[in-house]
Amino acid sequence: MGMGSTDTCSSGVAALHAAAPRVLLIIPCFNEEASIGSLLCEIGAIGRGYHTLVVDDGSSDATSAVASCRSPVARLAQNLGIGGAVQTGIKYAARQDFDFCIQIDGDGQHDPRAIETLLSAYRKQPANITIGSRFIEHEGFCSTRMRRAGIRLIVLALNGLFSGGRITDPTSGMRLMDRSAIAFFAKAYPADFPEPISLAWAMRAGLTVSEVPVEMRARETGVSSIDGLKSASYMVRVLGYILLARLVRSR
Amino acid sequence: MTNALPSPETVVVISAFALIYMLTLLRKTLQGKFDLYDFLMLSMVAIIPAGFTLFPRLAYLLSHLTGVVFPFVVMFGALFLVVFAFMHNMTARLHRLERQNCALIQEQSLLALELKAKESSQASG
Repeated sequence: MGMGSTDTCSSGVAALHAAAPRVLLIIPCFNEEASIGSLLCEIGAIGRGYHTLVVDDGSSDATSAVASCRSPVARLAQNLGIGGAVQTGIKYAARQDFDFCIQIDGDGQHDPRAIETLLSAYRKQPANITIGSRFIEHEGFCSTRMRRAGIRLIVLALNGLFSGGRITDPTSGMRLMDRSAIAFFAKAYPADFPEPISLAWAMRAGLTVSEVPVEMRARETGVSSIDGLKSASYMVRVLGYILLARLVRSR
Repeated sequence: MTNALPSPETVVVISAFALIYMLTLLRKTLQGKFDLYDFLMLSMVAIIPAGFTLFPRLAYLLSHLTGVVFPFVVMFGALFLVVFAFMHNMTARLHRLERQNCALIQEQSLLALELKAKESSQASG
C-alpha cells in the first residue's frame, strides 16, 4: 500500500509555510567526541531554532558528555549500527510530532547550512524524502573510482527497479523526511546498509524521493568503514537487498 | 546381497552413547538451558543412529524403499535433515530476537531521554 501521496506532501508544505514548522535534526554518532561539539555549535550558529537529537550509538568515548551540553542525547546501551541509531531518532520524531526530520552525520561531513537547502527544495518540490546529493553538481566531494562505480550500480538498480524518483546519490546520509516518511520508517528501518535499502523500501511503499545538490566536506575525524575489499562486498550485498526489496511485497 | 547385522559391540557402543547423551540433554532441559523443542531436535543425534543399530531390518527396509544401497547413507541423510531443520528455525529465531533486542535498546534510550526531560521540566517549573 502506498503511503506517500500528494495529500501528505501538501500537508507538509503547509507545515513549512506555517509559522514554525517543527524540524528535528537527527545526528547519529559513534565515537565522535572530536567533531560533535563543533557540529552542534555550527547548527546553533545558524540560528533557526532547529531541534536536535544526538543518538549516541554506544560510544566508548565522551561523545555523550560533549553533546549533552548542547543537545538532548539518546544514548543506546549497545552499538546498533547506523540503521538502529537513525531509527531511534525517527521514532523520537514520530512521538514528539515533528513535521520534518533531517539526518546529518556526526563526523562533520555535512554542512549544517545545507539544512535550509533541503527545506527550500521541499517547498519547491515536495517529496516524502529529499536527499542531499553529492553527485548533482560534483562539488566538494572526492571519492575513489571503485566507490563511485559501486554507487552508480546501486543507482541503476534503484532507478531501474523502482519508480518514485530519480536518484543520483543513494548512499548520502543527509536527507529530509516528512511526516509520511517518519511514520513509515518509525515502523521499519533497515539495520544493514540503511541509506540505499531504506530508499528501496520507501519507493516500494509508494513514497516519493527527490534530490537537491549539497556540498560535502571531508570528514573531520575517523575513516570510512567501507573501503577496499569491503566496498565490493558492500555493493554485492546492497544489490541483493535491493533486488529482494523488489521481489517482496510492501508490508 | 546378504544384509549385514551390527555386531554386539556396535550395539553396546551406540546404545551407551545414546543413553549418556540423552541423559545429558534431559539434565540440561530440566535446568532450563534447553526447551522441549531443542531437546527433541538435539536428541535426534542419538535416536536416529540408535534406531538404525537396534532395528537393522527397519534400516534395510528404509534403504530399500529409498533406493539406497547402504543404510548409513539414509541415516546420515536423516541426520542432516534434522540438523538443517534445527538450523533453519534457529536462524529465524535469532533474527527475531535481534530485532526485539534492537527495539528494546531503542525504547530504553528514548524512555531515559523522556524521563530526563520530565525531570528537568519539573526542576525548572
